Amino acid sequence: MNEEKAIIMKNIGKDFKVLNRHEGLKGSIKDLFSRDYNIVTAVNDISLEIPKGQIVGYLGPNGAGKSTTIKMMTGVLEPTRGEILVNGCVPYKNRAKNAENIGVVFGQRSQLWWSLPLIESFRLLKEIYLIEDDEYEEMISLYKSLVNLEPLLHKTVRQMSLGQRTLSDILAAFLHNPKVVFLDEPTIGLDVSMKAKIRDLIRELNKRKKTTVILTTHDMGDVDALCERIVIIDHGRMIYDNDIDHLKSYFGSYRTLKLRLPGDKWVEELIDESKTDAMSVISEYQKKSKILDIKLEEISTEEVIKKIYMGETVKNEKISGIDNSRDDKDLAI
Amino acid sequence: MKKYLALTIAGMTRTLQFRLGILVTVLGNLIYMTLVYYLWKAIYASSPSQIVNGMTFTDTIIYLVLATALFNFLDMYIVWELSRNIQSGAICLDLLKPVNYRVYMFFSFFGDNVMSFFLTFLPTFVVVYFVADGKIDLGLNLIMFAISVAFALLLNFSVEMLVATICLYTESTWGINIVKESIVLLFSGATIPLVFFPEGLRTVIGYLPFRCIYDTPLNILLEKPGYTLDSGIWSMIALQAVWCIILSLAGRAFWNFSVRRITVNGG
Repeated sequence: MNEEKAIIMKNIGKDFKVLNRHEGLKGSIKDLFSRDYNIVTAVNDISLEIPKGQIVGYLGPNGAGKSTTIKMMTGVLEPTRGEILVNGCVPYKNRAKNAENIGVVFGQRSQLWWSLPLIESFRLLKEIYLIEDDEYEEMISLYKSLVNLEPLLHKTVRQMSLGQRTLSDILAAFLHNPKVVFLDEPTIGLDVSMKAKIRDLIRELNKRKKTTVILTTHDMGDVDALCERIVIIDHGRMIYDNDIDHLKSYFGSYRTLKLRLPGDKWVEELIDESKTDAMSVISEYQKKSKILDIKLEEISTEEVIKKIYMGETVKNEKISGIDNSRDDKDLAI
Repeated sequence: MKKYLALTIAGMTRTLQFRLGILVTVLGNLIYMTLVYYLWKAIYASSPSQIVNGMTFTDTIIYLVLATALFNFLDMYIVWELSRNIQSGAICLDLLKPVNYRVYMFFSFFGDNVMSFFLTFLPTFVVVYFVADGKIDLGLNLIMFAISVAFALLLNFSVEMLVATICLYTESTWGINIVKESIVLLFSGATIPLVFFPEGLRTVIGYLPFRCIYDTPLNILLEKPGYTLDSGIWSMIALQAVWCIILSLAGRAFWNFSVRRITVNGG
């Protein structure tokens, strides 16, 4: 259909049927015969178009429906409502075909063969994805130029550290040169230098292979380093979709003003520059006491995201009085 | 087809990585066989005649030793593996390989079967052959046995996959798998030769798919009456083939239907 778009989603929704559990032993016995189901909406009315080659940060608090959306894009889950196209085909209808054109990394799981050396896993993937010899060689030599691959190749996956394993998993996901790669929390549990390494790798691969990357993460460092565009969902609904620069002015143009007052005390003020300016805040303070030092900082992505998550939660708590079906948040999808 | 060969070889390599595991399996089987030996010795000692249900003590032991070896050879731990993958959510990653999932599963485990053939079945057979001292023929029956074993392997896979599919719904496996193991072991002749069953039950079992897994190939190998080229072998193999087709078609339909309503845990 649309050649320029890697992913098109129109009004996608996903419901799960969950048994209404009762408490205690008596309740559990009752549950055996219960037909009392709750419909829980994990994802509701998400529309999204992602052009080829973009790195999109797909964010949201825990349980917001991120993984559910990713699973629908990969074809593991079938959406309850709406239309979805990935690389021009409907993923859940042609799961195996769609799989040829996508790569997946779930940060907490590995697709590599646990007890085999990495090189054997790569060779298996080469056969499974029907990668041509020259393409395979080219990819391996690209990998060798990007990371220090040699010591990893002959190590079995179970002997690897988490960082090495994640790195290997990312390489494995890109091996068949897919059009879209889904990275679900790829930097979870990694140290600072490994995180940086992995971010560099993802950026390089995206640049060289023009791969579309959908990245979910809770690490704002990933977002700052990689994402051109950010989509935020909460309670299954999309609440933000724009580029990262817009994000910082989402709540107005915020900056953090730090003032050092006598007694070596730092005071922080978050200033919305659309309403007031930094100078007037400073002069307010100056009337009261002496100012020893001044710092003016841009608001971090983390701060903004935190505000968005919290803002949405507050809004939804107000709604929940009317709309009870949203209350069921223990559904860990 | 190269991808399936690659998966098989990976499976074989994986098995070889666990040297200790192989050793423990062999040791475990030795202990089991000792138990079987003394159990049946006691059974025969308490019987007034040398021949029980048309089988001498030696016949029974040969049958049971080979049945155990065949069980080790054909066994696939698909139910365990799949249920673990469902509970951990790792099944996602396997579903996202561009291959038919059932075929993928089969060849992921097939390497294990090849290794167990060389590591357990073949050595056991060689030992039994010399101990039995001429009771086992080495002729055409070996070729027929190979054909029969191929069907048995596919049948066993289909049964495993069917049970594993049920686990998609229950999300717990232990009980279901125990039931399956017991039924298969009892009705397939892997623990008790089928001739020891009462007449009526034996007729019913005769038509069930389970006996096609262990009993049929073994009887063909040992050239029991009704399982030779002169009489009955083709109908036995036909029965295997029919069950093979029925169970793999049913299993495939059930799997394809079930996987659509799968809810994958975690994440």
